[in-house]
Parts: sequence; structure tokens; C-alpha cells
Amino acid sequence: MTAYIARRLVLLPIVAFGVTLLIFILLQLLSPTMRAALFVTDPRQLQALHEIIKTYQLDAPFYIQYWNWMKAVFTGNWGWSETARMPVLQAIKSFFPNTFELALLSFIPILLVGIWLGTLSAVHRDRIIDHLSRFFGISGYSLPTFIWGLFLLMLFYGHFRWFPPGRLSLEASLYVNSPEFRRFTGLLTVDALLNGEFWIFVDALRHLALPVLTLTVHDTALLVRITRSSMLEVLRQDYVRTARSKGLAEPVVINKHARKNALIPVITLSSLLFVGLLGGVVITETVFEYPGIGRWGAAAALHLDIPAVAGFALFFATLTVFGNLVADILYAYVDPRIRLR
Amino acid sequence: MRRTIGGMVTLVLVLSLVFLTGVPSSAQAVKNPDTFILATIGDPETLDYAWAYDTASFEVIFNVYDTLIFYDGSRTDRFVPGIATQVPSVANGLISKDGRTYTFPIRQGVKFHDGTPLTPEDVAYSIRRFLWIDRAGGPSSLLLEPILGVASTRDEKGNIKVTYSDLTRAVRVQGNNVVITLKEPFGPFLSIMAQWSYVVSRKWAAANGDWDGTRETMRKFNNPKKEDTAFFAKANGTGPFRLVRWDRAAREVILERNDNYWRTPPKLKRVIIKTVEEAATRILMIKAGDADQIALSRRELPQVQGVEGVRIIDDLPQYLISPAVFFTFEIDPTSPHIGSGKLDGNGIPPDFFKDVHVRRAFAYSFDYGAFLRDAYRGKGVVPKGPIPPGMLGYNPRQEYYTYSKEKAIAEFREAWGGRVWANGFKLTILYNAGNVPREIGARMLKENIEALNPKFKVDIRALPWPTYLAEMDAHKLPVFFIGWLADYPDPHNFAFHFLHSKGTFPFVQKYANPEMDKLIEQAKSEPDPKKREALYFKLVDMAYKEVPQLYLVSPVVFTVLRSWVRGYYYNPIHPGTYFYPISKG
Repeated sequence: MTAYIARRLVLLPIVAFGVTLLIFILLQLLSPTMRAALFVTDPRQLQALHEIIKTYQLDAPFYIQYWNWMKAVFTGNWGWSETARMPVLQAIKSFFPNTFELALLSFIPILLVGIWLGTLSAVHRDRIIDHLSRFFGISGYSLPTFIWGLFLLMLFYGHFRWFPPGRLSLEASLYVNSPEFRRFTGLLTVDALLNGEFWIFVDALRHLALPVLTLTVHDTALLVRITRSSMLEVLRQDYVRTARSKGLAEPVVINKHARKNALIPVITLSSLLFVGLLGGVVITETVFEYPGIGRWGAAAALHLDIPAVAGFALFFATLTVFGNLVADILYAYVDPRIRLR
Repeated sequence: MRRTIGGMVTLVLVLSLVFLTGVPSSAQAVKNPDTFILATIGDPETLDYAWAYDTASFEVIFNVYDTLIFYDGSRTDRFVPGIATQVPSVANGLISKDGRTYTFPIRQGVKFHDGTPLTPEDVAYSIRRFLWIDRAGGPSSLLLEPILGVASTRDEKGNIKVTYSDLTRAVRVQGNNVVITLKEPFGPFLSIMAQWSYVVSRKWAAANGDWDGTRETMRKFNNPKKEDTAFFAKANGTGPFRLVRWDRAAREVILERNDNYWRTPPKLKRVIIKTVEEAATRILMIKAGDADQIALSRRELPQVQGVEGVRIIDDLPQYLISPAVFFTFEIDPTSPHIGSGKLDGNGIPPDFFKDVHVRRAFAYSFDYGAFLRDAYRGKGVVPKGPIPPGMLGYNPRQEYYTYSKEKAIAEFREAWGGRVWANGFKLTILYNAGNVPREIGARMLKENIEALNPKFKVDIRALPWPTYLAEMDAHKLPVFFIGWLADYPDPHNFAFHFLHSKGTFPFVQKYANPEMDKLIEQAKSEPDPKKREALYFKLVDMAYKEVPQLYLVSPVVFTVLRSWVRGYYYNPIHPGTYFYPISKG
């Protein structure tokens, strides 16, 4: 197992190198004047265009730009993100915990509800519960997040005023940014509890409620569908029939024999879903004015913010490799055959 | 099955939206009575007064720092003292007879936010630093031009051409005064100073690693990257509010009242300027009273009209000509937008627009009234030249172009000795993608021109900003849309950049008219406002006859406030909301 993990980790630098090199090569398809658009946003700066290109060395060949960037990365300097108005590393450090918190809080209900409802649906195939869950599976997944998000915002903020957008309310934000509040993890809910400030915890949860709900509905729907079809597949297998015929109680058959085997595709999907959530959920973060990493990554790509895009890619590549690794380890856990191989 | 489900979901959604928007927000007590929250779009670029050149940055800067003189309320032609105790004039002897020397007596007892007193040396340092920073594409040229007579501190090759003694000779401390000597008389100088003479602390700058004001250390502070200046995200001003924090992750700027302000301290205790990208979220925030003012586009305005507790102030004038239509006089022959590159009915020659009849024909082909109505809901004015209405030099009696099919045909028949009419042409009109008014304008121009002669073929194309910028710079756009917002409220700012051969647009258009250049130089140095006005009248009339550009709209704007906001006023040259006079309740 250790050798297996090590083999996987060796892949990491190769993936990172490939991804970032690709970004630098792709950006060369744009002329230096086009890349200068990051800095020239107003016609008043038109005459300075060529000086700006020189100042930021936008006309240097890509291998020189890439080499300079690589050298800097190895010394811990990932460059300056113009869209975040801060260094790339600092941007990742300040946006990622927010997204991580959102992803984590969404992922737990997604996983629990998804697998539970999917199983239920498969076991009670073609009964009312199955119809309802299939309806949920299709509608939840096909409803665009921006409509669903805005709808929730209008209902729970516009009408009921329960769950406001943003990260924290005014008073909470002022307190959290004061020296009295200590940051331990960067996750606001956790830090609030560690500081013993329960009202901050509640405030943070109130702001997380709607984005979490939006994401949960969307991704749970997907998981329900996958779990259901995988379960149906497994329930048709001989060993399930054997289990039943030897007189095992139905819950044991379902939970021990069937579900464990049905989980392989579910794990694959879940790890992808989680990495996807971590990579940022641009629309949800934008609608709820949530300062996450996805909003930044999208803005950076849109404005051709090269160091930011490269840094984001590097970070995300690392995340994906680790996400896949975790999924592989979990496969081995649920399926002994994989472990033995 | 799938379709019915989708239909049901849509129905539920629509019904709930109708139900929700139909609920009036109930009257509320003033929320956060001593905090003002502005939900806006776009983050500041930097908080460095010498680096920034965008309104989002200056909306913060001009609330945190003071200028030597300031605009008088909503007026842009009258000034009140700021850090200077008097507004210089020839009458009070603070402007020399030759119009080149300006004396600013510096106010005593003013303290920076860190408690240190402001000195005339700080003032001189601040102005010298503004001149010296001169980042590529930055605002320094606004003061470099009048004071040192150069557009940049560097020559074309990037070598420094301004010396330390140039700076100290032009900006001097004399006792309690700061004296500035201009290269030559410059009419708009005071109106530039009212906007661009922010005063910072030299000591604080040096302590934070910025230029200390000496010759020895100056070199590395010329054309710096924005993140390398001490003023980027920190501030130590004398203004009504002090900067608590620019939280770039949460995208908000937090200001707090300066209790030691040299005038009466502001009524608001705190100001929060927050970037909220999604318009729907901003609208919900103002409805809930969680924002006191929001930015909104005219398309979204109806959603807050008639909402209880929300006040809309509309028809606010701007010093803005946008969009204008530009013709390129020498198009790059490799341009993909000129078809065959010949006057054979399948393209245009690169110098197509050098014939004034072509330009006039285009001018007569545009329906200005319909454009104002369709693209701006009638909210604006069709300007009679490149100088916006309300500014010195704007002539309400100036002749201007109106839509006329007959005149357009007559001009096209004369163009290129009749060959344009006989052969026809093909070209592309371009605008930057996502700009709806410009798209409407381009479409109107296309339809009107194509209706004149079946041999006229006009394509319209939207380019994303980077491509648009690159092709504009390469002189590849035959006809394109763009606009200009005033740097300072003086006609020179418009006259120069629209019509002077060294201005921004003629540079892109490859247009030069020595006679106009002379008039602009002359008007710039003319001290007598009446004579200056006459010169601008003449210039604008020349622009009318020459038609290097079409000036489509000077739009008016609006702002959305909570009704509990008191004391708000608008000044067209302010970069944003001036929080000093505001209170809530």
C-alpha cells in the first residue's frame, strides 16, 4: 500500500509541470498587446500600451516567462495576482479555507442523503419513494444553480430575512477582524468555537446555509441517481440472491452485501464531486457573495491573469492528485480484491 | 416525462418569484445608524494616489486624503480651500501675472491620521512624488504636462529624462507656502489640482519603505509595480475618514471617522465599501436595508423603482462622451475588417476615411435621437461636439449632425469622385463585446447605411476587450466605438484627447490637423475665460466640418439610496460618493 501511495505521489510533480506548461503555451496564442489588457482597462491608458508591455515583460518568449515563473515558484513566490490584488499564495491562503468550509459542510449532507436516498430508491424500485427520489434526482440536477441559488436568496433573504449573503454580518466581521479573535484553522465555524464565541459560529452558519443548500441539492441529486443504478445492478447479482436464500435479514443483505459492493462508482463520483467543490463553485460563490476560491479563479481566467491562473492550476492539480489518491485508498477499503492486487 | 417535470419546476419557480416580488418590504427603523454601506461593482486597483487611475480607487482615496483645494459642493467651476487656506487667483496675488506661478498657503494645525502634524514639506513631497512615480499608463502626466511640460518622466526608450532638481525647482517650499511654477500658463491647472493634489506624509512614506523624497533614493521609485509602493493597501491621510482595512479577500474597504479632522468631524462613524458582483444580490441588500447605496445599471433600475424606503436620484449629469464613433484614417492594410482593401465593392482602401465626404456621409447616416431613446431610454444628451454639455467651451448653438438619408446619399455620391457610390464598399464596424448600447449603435449604423445603396455592405462585430485593445492599437479597426470620461472638469481634457494629434484618440485614428493642434495649445494657455471659450467654439466648429469622430451621447446617471440617507450630494467630477456630509436617520 505504501509503495502504491508513493507511486501515486511521484505523479504529482509531473502533472503539475504538464498543466502549468500547457497554460503558459496556451497563453502564447494571445499577442502581448492582448495580454496587456489585464493592465489596460481604460482608453486613457491606450498610449501607454507598449510601455506597459515592456514593464511587465509581456513580450518575452514563453519559455523565458515560464522559466522565470518556475524559478520563483521554487523560492516560494508564486507571483502577483492582479485580479485578487494580492500575491497568488496569499490569495489561495485567504480564499481556500472559505471554500473548504463550504465544501465540507455541503459534502456531508450530499454523501449521507445521496447514498441513503439512492439505496432506498433502488430497494423500493417503482414504488412511490422511488418515483419521488427520481423526480428529485432529475429536477435537482437539471435546475441551473444560478436560478436555484437566486430563488433561495429571494425567499430566505429577500422575503424572510433569515439567511443573508456574504461571509459574516457587519458586527461579526468587525469582531473577527479585531485582535481579540484568534485564527487557528481559517475555518470560521471552527475558529469561532475554539474562541468560545458561539454567536460568531451561528453567524457564520447563517451565512453558509444558503450556499450549502444550493450545492447540496445539486450534487445530492447526482449521487442519488448513481447510487440507485449501481444498487440495482448489484441487487441483480447472484450473491445477493444467495444471501437472501440463506435466510439473512433484509437489512443485512442490503447494507452489508449489496451496498458495500455498490459503492465503488459512488466513491469515484464522490471524490470527483468533492474536488469539484474544493475547486470552487463559481456561480454559487458569486450569487451569495461568498469569498471563495472559485470566484477568484474564474475572474483570473477571464482577465488573463497569468500568475493567478498558473498558481490556481498548480494548486488544483495537487488537490486532484490527492483527491484521486484518497479515492483509491477507499476503493481498497471497500473492495479487498483491489487491496490484494 | 422529463418535459413535464421541467415544466412543473418552472411553473413553481415563476409563481414563487411573482409572489415574492409582490411582497412590499415593510417600513423599517434605520439599520446600522452610524455606518454607511455602499454595495458597488469593481475593486480598487490600489490606494496609492499616484498610481491609481480608476474611479473605484479614488472613491476610497478622496475620502481618506485631502487635496489642496476642493470643488465647491456640486460645482465644478468653483473651488474652496482644502489643505491650502486660500484658492489662488490673480486677484489675491497667489497666481503671478504671467500665469505661471501658483502659491498655496498651507493650513496649520492639520494632523495626519497617525497624529503627526502636516507640514508644507509634506505637501511639496506629495506633489513631487505624484510627478515622479509616473507608472506606465498612470495619471502622473496630468501634472507633468502643466508643471514640467512633458508627458512622461521617461523618453521613448525608457530612459529617465526628468531630474531631481526639475522637481524641486518646480515645486518649492517657501516659508509656510508651497509654490508651483508651471512650464507655461495652463488654464485648467486649478481644476486639475482640485482633483489630483492629494497630500500624504513624507515621514510615514519613508518609514514604510517608500520614497523618502531625496535625490539619492529616487531612482527605484519611478514606474513601480503597484504592489511595490507603500501606499498600495495602507493609508495615512488627513481626510475625513481613516482607512481601517482594505480586505481584498472579502472585497471590502472599511473606513472610520477621523475624530481629529481639521473641519468638523463627519457624522458617520464608519463607512464600508463592498464589492458585490451580482446585481440581484445588491438589489436584495438595499431592499433589506443592508446597503445604504448600491450601484446599478439602467437595465436593472425598474427593480428598485417604487420600493418603499428606497430613493432614486436620476438625471445626474456626467462629463462623459460615450460612446463616440471613431474612423481610422490610415487603416493597417493587413486588417481583416476592410475586405479586399480596395474600392471594388468588396472592401475599402486603407485611407477610405481620409475623404471628408465619407465621414460626413456616416455622420448623416446615424439616427442620434433613436439611439438615445433605444440604448439609453432617453437618459442623456446628444452632445454638439467633443466637449460635454455643462463645461466651458460647450456651445449650445453649435451646428451638429442629424439623421438625414438625403444628405447621406449626397455625401456618398461625392465621396472618392463618385466611386464609392458607383462601386459600393464593404467594411466592418466594431465594438467591445458585452457593451449593449454600442451594439445597438453599431446595428443602427449598419442598417441605415445599407439602406442607402444595395452595394453598401456593413458587417458588425463584437470583439472581447483584449482583442479590441490590440486591434485598436494596431490601427486595424476601420470604424469603432469607445468613450472618454473626464480626468478633470476642463475642456482641455476633451479637446486634447479627441482632437490634438498627440491626444489618445487621434493617435489611434492616425489623425492630425496642425490647425487644431495650434488652437488647442492656444486655448490651454489663455487666461481669459471669455477668450478661451471663443477658441473652443472655433475648435468644435472645425471638428464639425472635419468630422474625425461622431459624438453620440453624453449619458446622465442615477444613484440608488435608502431614503434614510441624509446630506448626500453629487458632483459630476467626483470619483464616487463623498461620505463627509452624509448622515442616516
